[in-house]
Amino acid sequence: MTKIYQLEFGRKQTGVEDLNLEVEEGQIFGLVGPNGSGKTTTLKLLLGLVFPTSGTGEVLGFPIGHPAYKERIGFLPEGPYFYDHLNAVELLRFYGGLFGLGGKELDRRVQELLELVGMWDRRHIRVRNYSRGMLQRVGVAQALINDPDLIFLDEPTSGLDPLGAMQIREVITRIRDQGKTVFLCSHLLKEMEPLCDNIAILNRGRVVQSGTVDELLAGPQGMYMLRAHTVPQEVVESLRSFATEVRTWDSEIEATFADQKLAAQALEAVVEAGGTVRELSPYRRSLEEVFIDAVGGEAQ
Amino acid sequence: MKAIYRVARATFFEAWRRRFLNAILVFAVLIIGSSWSLAYLQPGAELTLLIDIGLGAIRFFGMLIAVFLGVRLIADEMEKRTVHTLLAKPVTRTQFLVGKLVGALATVWSNILLMGIAFYIVFALKAPQFRNMDPEKGPVVRMDFMYANIAKAIGLSFLEVGCIVAIAVMASTIFSWILAAIFSFFLYFVGQMADFFRVLAQNPDRVESAVQRTFFAILYAVLPHFEVFDVREAILKDQFLPWLTLGKIVATGVLYIVIATLIAWLAFKGREV
Amino acid sequence: MHRRREKLSTVAGVVALIVLVGLLQVSLRSTSYDRLVLGLNRPMPITKVVDFDPTAITGVVIGAILGGFREVAATMLWLKVDELWDSGRGTEFATLNLMRTVTLLDPHWIEPWRITAWHLAYNLYVETEDPHERAILLDKAVACLKEGISWNPDIYDLYFELGWTYFDKIKDYEEATKWLEACTQFEHPEYIERLIAHAYERLPEIDKALDWYDYCIKRNPGDHTAIGATTTIRERYLRAWRLAQQKRYDEALKELEYYLMVDPEDLIGLHFKADLYERMGQKRKAHDIWKMAGEMRALDDYARYRASLLAAELGLPAPPQPRALMETKKELAVPVPK
Ligand SMILES: Nc1ncnc2c1ncn2[C@@H]1O[C@H](COP(=O)(O)OP(=O)(O)OP(=O)(O)O)[C@@H](O)[C@H]1O
Ligand SMILES: [Mg+2]
Repeated sequence: MTKIYQLEFGRKQTGVEDLNLEVEEGQIFGLVGPNGSGKTTTLKLLLGLVFPTSGTGEVLGFPIGHPAYKERIGFLPEGPYFYDHLNAVELLRFYGGLFGLGGKELDRRVQELLELVGMWDRRHIRVRNYSRGMLQRVGVAQALINDPDLIFLDEPTSGLDPLGAMQIREVITRIRDQGKTVFLCSHLLKEMEPLCDNIAILNRGRVVQSGTVDELLAGPQGMYMLRAHTVPQEVVESLRSFATEVRTWDSEIEATFADQKLAAQALEAVVEAGGTVRELSPYRRSLEEVFIDAVGGEAQ
Repeated sequence: MKAIYRVARATFFEAWRRRFLNAILVFAVLIIGSSWSLAYLQPGAELTLLIDIGLGAIRFFGMLIAVFLGVRLIADEMEKRTVHTLLAKPVTRTQFLVGKLVGALATVWSNILLMGIAFYIVFALKAPQFRNMDPEKGPVVRMDFMYANIAKAIGLSFLEVGCIVAIAVMASTIFSWILAAIFSFFLYFVGQMADFFRVLAQNPDRVESAVQRTFFAILYAVLPHFEVFDVREAILKDQFLPWLTLGKIVATGVLYIVIATLIAWLAFKGREV
Repeated sequence: MHRRREKLSTVAGVVALIVLVGLLQVSLRSTSYDRLVLGLNRPMPITKVVDFDPTAITGVVIGAILGGFREVAATMLWLKVDELWDSGRGTEFATLNLMRTVTLLDPHWIEPWRITAWHLAYNLYVETEDPHERAILLDKAVACLKEGISWNPDIYDLYFELGWTYFDKIKDYEEATKWLEACTQFEHPEYIERLIAHAYERLPEIDKALDWYDYCIKRNPGDHTAIGATTTIRERYLRAWRLAQQKRYDEALKELEYYLMVDPEDLIGLHFKADLYERMGQKRKAHDIWKMAGEMRALDDYARYRASLLAAELGLPAPPQPRALMETKKELAVPVPK
C-alpha cells in the first residue's frame, strides 16, 4: 500500500510507500519507527481515515474503509481529544451508544473500564480540564468500550506516568491473553521489546525489518554474553584477547564470546580474580540495537 | 439512524454550551423583549415597527447563529481531531455529516423557537392596543389574520435559518471555515437582494449592455432566493396566507437544505481527516 | 469492490443533485408566481437608487446588509434626523440626505415621505428668495411624494399630501383635484371631499364643486362648512354657471357682475369672470382680469399662471411668472388610479 499526501501547490509528501504488512490474530503487533516514518499514516489508512494512493488492505476480512469491521475494532489515536463538555462517564456512554450498547450493561462496562485505566475516581471531571495523561487513559478506555477483537493503539503510553504506563501495558497483555489482537505503534523501544510478539520497523515510509521479537533480537548462533563487575583491569585486558567484544563502564563490564567454551573460560578468569558475575547467557540484542542497525545513519 | 441520532445529540448539547452563540441568543431575546418600548420611536407605525423588530431580530440573529455554528461544525471536529475517534467507530462519513447537520439544525431551531416564543408573547401582549375598527379614530387596523401570519412567518424563519446552516456546512466542507463564513454571509445578504438582479436583468433602460444583463440574469438564477421566506407584506396588509403557498415555500426551503447537504456530502465523502 | 461502490455513490449523488436542482426550479417558479399574485414581494428600494446620490446608495447597501433589519435601521436613522432637527441643523443638506435614505430603507413607512416633502416644500422653500430655486424645491417635493405613492399606492395618505401641496403651495387646482380625488378610493378622513370642492370652486368648476359639497352633506347632514359653502355658491354663481353652460355668456356675465359689485375682490367670482371671457373668446379681457386677480392676492398664483398663459398667446409682455407652478406642470410620472 502506498500513501502519498498532497500538499499545497502540488508538492507531495510520502506517508508510507509499498507497505506490506500482515498481522496474525491473537498477537501483539508492534510498529516501530522514528518520528515521521509513517506509523500514524498506516493506522489512518487501516481505519479508512485517509485513502491509499495505491494498493489495498483488509481488516478482519473486510476491505479497508468498510463499515462492517468498525463494530469489532477499537482505536486510540495519537494525542487523543474528545468532546470536552463531557465527563469520562458521559463520554464512554456516548461511544458505547455508537455501538448500540446501553442500559445497565453499558454502565457496568463503563465502570469496569474506568477502573481499569484508573479514572473511576475522577470520572466527574470534564474532558476540558483533563491533563494529558488523563486524556490518554480515557482514550484507552474508549478504545475498549465495545470489547473489540482488534485494537489499534497509537503511542498508548505517551504522556503517562510510569505507573500509568505499566497499567496500560498490563491491559494490553491482558487483551492479548483473551485472544484479541493488538496493533501497537510506538517509538518507545524499551517498552515494545517485552510487550510485542511481532514487530515491524518502519523508516521513511518503508518496512525495513520485520519478524517475531525472538527472531529480530536473536544474535548470531552460539554467542554468549557475560556481565560482571569489580573485575581487575588486567583480567579485563586478558578477556579482550579472546572475546568478540568487551565494553566497560564504571566498574561494569559486558563481553560477548563466539562460543560456550570461550565464555566458560572467561567466567573462570573473572571468578578467580575476585570479580562478581552478574549474568551469563546466550547473547540477545536489544531492540534498540536492532533499530539503530536497521534505521542506521539514514535516520532523520 | 441510531448513529445519526447519537452524533446529532452530541452536537446539539455541545452547541448549546457555546458561550458565543448563547450570548447572541440572549441579546436577541433582549431586543425582542424590548421591542415594544422601541416601537414608540416610530409614531404612527408602532405596530409595523413591533413586527419589524421582532421578525427582523429572529431572522438576523438566527442567521448569525446559523453561520457561526455551521462553519465551525466540521472544522472543530477536524481541528480537535475528535473526528478520528468518531469515524473509527461504526459511523460512516455520511452518518457523521448528516448527524452533525441535524444536530446543528436542532440547535438553531431551538434558538429560533425561543426567540419566536419571546416575540409571540410580546406581540400578543402589545398588539391588541393597536387594533382599530373605527375609521374616525384613524386608519382601520383589523388584524384578522395577523396572529396566524406572525406564527407562519416565524415558522418560515425556521426554514430560512435551516437553509443557512446547510449552506454554511456545505461551504465549510469545500473551503476553510473563515472563507466559508464569508461565503455564507455573502450568499445570505446577496440572496436577500436576488430580486434586484432580476430587475436589472430585465430592464434594458437601466442596464444597457446585454452582457451585463446576462450576468445579472445568471446571478439571479444561481443565488439562493432567501426572499421567498419573507411574508412581511402579508402581515402588514393583514391578508390571508394560503396554506398551499406556504407549502410551496416550505418545499422550496426543504429543497435548498437537501441540495446543500448533498453537495456537502459529495465534498466530504472522499475527505481525509 | 468497495471503491467501485464509492464511485457509484458519487455518480448517484451527482444525478440526484441535478434532479433536485430541477425540482427546485419548478418549486421556485410556482412559489414566485404565488408571491406575485398575493403581492408578497417586498419593494426593493435599491432598484430605484440608480439615479440617487452616493449617500443614499450607501444607506441602501447598509440596509441590504442588515437584511431583515432594514426597517429598524430606518427608524434609527429617523431618530438621527430628529436629533439634527432639534439641534437646528434641519435645513442642512445632510439632513435631507438622511431623510431620503430613510425613505429608501423603508419605503412603506409613510412618515418620512410626508416629512421629507413637507421639508422641501415648506421649510427649505422659505430659506431662499430665488424663484427658480423655489420652483426646484417644489418640484422635488412633488417628485418625492409621487415616488412615495408608487410604493404605497393603496392608502390615501400620500395622495392627500400631494393634493394638498398642489392646492396650498403650488396653487395648481387642476392637479390638486386630481390627486385629492384619488384619495377617495381608499379609506380617508371626511375633510378630503370638502377640500376637493374647494379646489373645484377656484378653477372654477362650479357644478363639480357643488357635487362634492352635496356629497358631503348627504354623508353628514350636519356638515356646516359644506352647507354654508353650497348656500353661497348656489346663491351667487349657480345661475351664472348654468347660463354659461347654455353659452348665454352675456347673461351669465350680468349675473356675475351683480355679485362682484357686492364683493369685488371675491376670488371665485374673479376667476369665474376671467374664465367666462376666455370662453367667449375675449382673451385680452380675460388676461386683464386674471392679471388683476393675481395682483390683488399675493398668493393667487393660479390667476397669475392663467394670465401668463394668455399673455404668451397674445404676445403681451409677460407678467411676473409663478414659476413654481409652471415648472411643476409636467407630465405625471405616476398615473392617477381611477
Ligand atoms: N495530513 C498530512 N498531510 C501531509 N503530510 C502528512 C500528513 N500526515 C502525515 N504526513 C507526513 O507523512 C509522514 C508520516 O507521518 P506519520 O504521522 O505517519 O509519522 P509517525 O510515524 O506517526 O511519526 P510520529 O512518531 O512523530 O508520530 C511524515 O513525513 C508527515 O510529514
Ligand atoms: Mg504518529
